[in-house]
Amino acid sequence: MNSGDPNADNTSWPKAYTVALSIFTVEIVLLYLFTLRFS
Amino acid sequence: MNRLDYVVLIATILAIPIYGLWRTRGRASLRQYLKGDASIGWATIGLSVLATQAGPITFLSMPGQAYESGIGFIQNYFGQPLALIVVCAIFVPIYQRLKVYTAYQYLGQRFDRKTQLLGAFLFLVQRGLAAGITIYAPAIVLSALLGWRLNLTIWLAGGLVMIYTVAGGTKVVSITQRYQMIVILVGMAIAFAVAVYRLSPDLSFESTLSVAGKMGKLEAVSFSVDPHKRYTFWSGVIGGFFLALSYFGADQSQVQRYLAGGSLKESRLGLLFNAAVKVPMQFFILLLGAIVFMFYQFEKPPVYFNQPAYQRAAENGYATQLAALQTQFDDVFAQKRAAIRAVSSALPDQRDMAMARLHELEAQARDLRDQTKTVLVQAGVDPKSKESDYVFITFILQQMPHGIVGLLIAVILCATMSATAAALNALGTTTAVDFYRPLIRPNASDHHYVIAAKALTAAWGFVAIAVASFASLVENLIEAGNILGSVFYGSILGLFLAAFFIRGVTGSAVFFAAIIAQALVFILFGMTNIGYLWYNFIGCAAVLIVAPVLQQTIFRSTKAPAGV
Repeated sequence: MNSGDPNADNTSWPKAYTVALSIFTVEIVLLYLFTLRFS
Repeated sequence: MNRLDYVVLIATILAIPIYGLWRTRGRASLRQYLKGDASIGWATIGLSVLATQAGPITFLSMPGQAYESGIGFIQNYFGQPLALIVVCAIFVPIYQRLKVYTAYQYLGQRFDRKTQLLGAFLFLVQRGLAAGITIYAPAIVLSALLGWRLNLTIWLAGGLVMIYTVAGGTKVVSITQRYQMIVILVGMAIAFAVAVYRLSPDLSFESTLSVAGKMGKLEAVSFSVDPHKRYTFWSGVIGGFFLALSYFGADQSQVQRYLAGGSLKESRLGLLFNAAVKVPMQFFILLLGAIVFMFYQFEKPPVYFNQPAYQRAAENGYATQLAALQTQFDDVFAQKRAAIRAVSSALPDQRDMAMARLHELEAQARDLRDQTKTVLVQAGVDPKSKESDYVFITFILQQMPHGIVGLLIAVILCATMSATAAALNALGTTTAVDFYRPLIRPNASDHHYVIAAKALTAAWGFVAIAVASFASLVENLIEAGNILGSVFYGSILGLFLAAFFIRGVTGSAVFFAAIIAQALVFILFGMTNIGYLWYNFIGCAAVLIVAPVLQQTIFRSTKAPAGV
């Protein structure tokens, strides 16, 4: 696979998974804050 | 519904399949028919995966669920982002590398033919029945409220899906799902905005949420370890993780969606998109239900939302009893409205007393609804679907402006069509690839298999419609769909996890372990009343424990093939 290959995948997947996990964590924190505020 | 609503409804549900068929016109190779082509990007995959899972129950029942029990159901989705990351990291690269059409082909390559057939068979039974329920669930509600004939509704929804899925295969399913999901998201956003706009001007939006919270509707996250509490952070993360891992990793109706990607990167990005948006999307749908609940604290609701059943009971000679209950309910409603105003304007030291009064009145209203249901049962009109399923659709039909009503009925039908299309596409593909090609016609032409896949997809369409026609025998449809998945998913996931993580195990050991696990789940299902989410874990754990034991005892002389 070289840089001219249309299927070349230079994505850093561990970083992508960390970003997805961070978004999920932020969502849980926001939902918890919502619960504290309105329950 | 008026003429404008019907125009919007018919235009929406017909335009998308017609556009999809136009985009996929022409003769397709087997690869194109079963996997789409390499042009499908991550956005289409992401929306397609989202649409496959959503289904009509999400939009019909979820707001009613929040109306009844609050938004705590959101926690059931907490395991999903974690499961999707595992699917991206482990499942997708293997499927892409082996260039399989179905997930079960991987089992055939890793173990043997009989294990492949067992995985495929368990999927076909489960998904074939679930596809029927997906068609039946909205049909029963829409036909009751709109006066449509039930069988005609089932045949129209099922027949339309069958036509475009058979004609266009995986690519048409992905394209139509993309636009159907856009219609669904736009429709639900409009419903949310109108519901907020229609809230009582007596209270600010924040005060409305505050009262809803005090009435127990807004507890989104609970870290309680009480096993009797139905939805908690822990049950959502653990139970939801196993359910989502089976569903996204081993259910062909989802696997086929992300294998349609042009590359591994597009498939992974489509799944990660779902990991990010699923929880917020479900939150807004559930919050919509809580807002509808607050709307009906100021606008008088019917004592029983399933009005067609209520009317039949009145016609069967129970009108006097029902009228008496309605009068009591109206009285409680008026007191409750006053109590909510008292809560919002109470001084801090009086608030507890005002809340206690509100809770007391809410319990009375609930009791009157239960008594009404008892009368309905006595009248011989025992409703087949939950009353809460009628809450959101009643709100749509009575409170939304014309045009939007048509759009929101189209949302429910789009959700039905997108979930059913994915199921039929996967059922036809699995039957063609895992059964027909290896067992019946091993060496036919590419074109022959395309025709066979089309015929088998159509056959599954008829099966789904037949199941939908007999689904009235099932008491609680939404529970039935969830239970069905949980009963079969555990063993299927066990097969895949054994393939990935237990190196020395052979096909025979795993095959018999899965049969023992499935039998165990059937026995537990028949003889105990444990929560159905646990079947996912039990079935999976049983395969992973029994397979190595069988390998070390009965199948000790058989050697595992080199890892795939």
